[in-house]
Amino acid sequence: MAASRLRQALPLLLGGVILAGAVAWSRGAVAQQQEPALNIQFHGFTDSRGVTVLSPTVDLDRDFTDRTGLRFRFGVDAISAASDSCIRCHAEGAHNQRVYTSASFVRKYGDTAVTVGGEISKEQFYLANTAMTSISRTFNDANTTVAGGYSFSWNRPTLHPAEFAENQFAQNAYVSLTQTLTRSTIAQFGYEISTVNGYQSNPFLRALLNGVRTVGEAPDHRLRHTLTARLRQALPKDTYLEGDYRYYTDDWDLTAHSFSVGLSHYFTPHLSVTGTYRQHSQTGTYFYAPAYTGSPEFFTADFRLFPFDSKLYTGRVVYTPEGRLFSGMFPEGSGVTFQYEYYNADNGFEALTVSTGLRIPLKRR
Amino acid sequence: MRHLLLVVALAAVAASSTACATVKPWQRGQLANRCMQFDPDGGFAAFRGHWQESREGASGGSGLQGGGCGCK
Repeated sequence: MAASRLRQALPLLLGGVILAGAVAWSRGAVAQQQEPALNIQFHGFTDSRGVTVLSPTVDLDRDFTDRTGLRFRFGVDAISAASDSCIRCHAEGAHNQRVYTSASFVRKYGDTAVTVGGEISKEQFYLANTAMTSISRTFNDANTTVAGGYSFSWNRPTLHPAEFAENQFAQNAYVSLTQTLTRSTIAQFGYEISTVNGYQSNPFLRALLNGVRTVGEAPDHRLRHTLTARLRQALPKDTYLEGDYRYYTDDWDLTAHSFSVGLSHYFTPHLSVTGTYRQHSQTGTYFYAPAYTGSPEFFTADFRLFPFDSKLYTGRVVYTPEGRLFSGMFPEGSGVTFQYEYYNADNGFEALTVSTGLRIPLKRR
Repeated sequence: MRHLLLVVALAAVAASSTACATVKPWQRGQLANRCMQFDPDGGFAAFRGHWQESREGASGGSGLQGGGCGCK
């Protein structure tokens, strides 16, 4: 029992040591500022459950004065779902659309930046409203950045095919430390806590209960903790290394480790290629079982709550030509990005994403 | 929760004890490169975060996000 507890606590302790080490260096990290830009992107997603998503987005980050800025994002997810949970009732598959809009306002006070914003996300059977605020401050000639934030979401899942909607309330808070370690190394460490209260079952997925497919029942409270450690290292010959680690745990006994490592290389000053590998491993929740008998309080068919391991492979090309892009159609500094991803989990789930983006820089005020 | 308190305590002790060298603005050529940013393409990261959250039980660690289901 003690050994088991130690094994469970070890990742958290390691995370603590890493975090402690980071804070120990807290005399100087770079403030990574978002440059004003207009981003137009198109994302495509398809998976082995028969879900296809096409998602155009527009993202505007603009300064109005040297101390104020506005960030605006608008996107649409056009969803075609032919998963087993959909074709049970819709033989031709089901179509849905998620429209989301977010806006945030940034105000700088010396080395401190305060952000206030919100997001509305609406799809056929799910409405989410989020208000958020964050604050960040740089220290030590902008070598250290400490940031924190809080958000509150009111979500309304509709229990399709029924007409009525349930309530779900989520609160989320985080703190992060970004630290320059050397002229070629930067690290970031974060901790995030969130609570979710209200309806958290999935009305679309049915568990096998006493041999009968039944809509699952999940607890109506969840407390989640996330620790992250991220590193960026410049290497010789225009090459850059990135490494990210995330430890996640919650009071449903789901624990997950996710790490990724990537390498970027500039083949010319205007063309970079990045390859990234990510591995994710999670346990199941305490009420997970392949099938249920008797009268369990909680049961689920939600694949997100099952134990599994997955791998994600990402390839990305960024081209920022010298001079103006597309024969002068866009201003100098504009660039295009192409990205391809392949996701493969040992529960049989696979997914592909293809993304492309156009970045148009805006003048800083 | 006790482990989390331990983490916070370790961080606090470390923060008050040591430091590292400050990198001057004119020494930050490499640090300013796009590849040294944590999320240089916010929209790409947001899209990935959303579909991963719809397929994995863990989430978080990338700042504040809005909701959305996409779980079918």
